[in-house]
Amino acid sequence: MARIIGGIGTSHVPTIGVAYDKGRQEDPVWAPLFEGYKPVAKWLAEKQPDVLLFFYNDHATTLFFDLYPTFALGVGERFPIADEGAGLRGLPDIRGDVDFQAHIGEALVNEEFDLAFFQNKPIDHGIASPLPLLWPHEPDWPGTVVPIAINVLQYPLPTARRCYRLGQAVRRAVESYPEDLKVVVVGTGGLSHQIHGERTGFNNTEWDLDFLETLRDEPERLTQLTHADYVRLGGAESVEQIMWLAMRGALGASLEEMHRNYYLMTTTAMTVVTYEERETAAAAQQREQEVA
Amino acid sequence: MFTQNPQTVAMPEGTYVFDLRTCNRRLAFNRFFWNMIRPEARQAFWDDEEAAMRAAGLDDEEMALVRARDWLGIVQAGVNFFVLEKWARVVRKTNLEVYAIMRGESFEEFMQTRAVPHAR
Ligand SMILES: [Fe+2]
Repeated sequence: MARIIGGIGTSHVPTIGVAYDKGRQEDPVWAPLFEGYKPVAKWLAEKQPDVLLFFYNDHATTLFFDLYPTFALGVGERFPIADEGAGLRGLPDIRGDVDFQAHIGEALVNEEFDLAFFQNKPIDHGIASPLPLLWPHEPDWPGTVVPIAINVLQYPLPTARRCYRLGQAVRRAVESYPEDLKVVVVGTGGLSHQIHGERTGFNNTEWDLDFLETLRDEPERLTQLTHADYVRLGGAESVEQIMWLAMRGALGASLEEMHRNYYLMTTTAMTVVTYEERETAAAAQQREQEVA
Repeated sequence: MFTQNPQTVAMPEGTYVFDLRTCNRRLAFNRFFWNMIRPEARQAFWDDEEAAMRAAGLDDEEMALVRARDWLGIVQAGVNFFVLEKWARVVRKTNLEVYAIMRGESFEEFMQTRAVPHAR
């Protein structure tokens, strides 16, 4: 049986990708960001998941507004990383496991999440910004990706509650797959930022930290907020934090935060958090004691 | 016709909700910027801006906004920032520079408001 072994919430700021490609990992202004991802990469290297299942958004790159789906699942063995106006990035194509992706799609539709499906399309910074900070890519990525795109651009967006429930359905979908795959669920985007209009540059660290506490311990409370609440509290584009709620919905009730990094450099509160289910953390501790 | 979407009630000022009505009004304008993900469209824009805008079917108001590099005006007209940022790459503007312009500040003024003012 496939199972979820943990979760990650991560920003997907496109300039992270630019800084990565330019080799600015040691640059004093960028180091607090890149250093903050090292424990996450190490955690993934130790846990060795077969699959990263992403709840992310497309930024009108793969898909245009002439047909913009609320939820869309990508199916394919390879997804090129998109040209978003500045050329290609020189990263290997993202890998996929078609049978697993198709199973997730079938299971979700049968649970009445009527997704759209895309094939043979590039994927943008919604996944590609954080991915090389999570996984090595030379000579190739160590595992496959399930991309689930959520519309956070064109209103009406799916509600916070709907995203949380999507995550819950994804957990059941994963656990109904017969092969023993280890899956980490990832929600991308946020935290506070606004990057359009006169309100550009809005941040709210107090709310960001409150969001992280509530997401871990009482996620249902966050499902009651409207999109306008998210926009007011965290800035217009922070509404994409509903994708963190989808990730949270796929995890168990009681979570251990294994690592957190929060770095507000210019306009986006760049954040990464890793979660394990508390039962799992306790079991791991017990195993360690037994070994000792 | 105003929206009855309960999720978007009481949006803060200086925020422009990109919804189905906006998108319907400005689909061609949004598509013009979206096209910049293709190298041929970028080249066509560099070669002849006016011809590129005409080929995309922009109206007079939209063409004037592009000529004026009026970033805030373009957003206010109903363009989603995520297609606009693709064009920012084409006219060699960083996002931070565009943010400063939308706030009506010089780049240096804007950066002084940031947590790490010398970040680039
Ligand atoms: Fe985003």
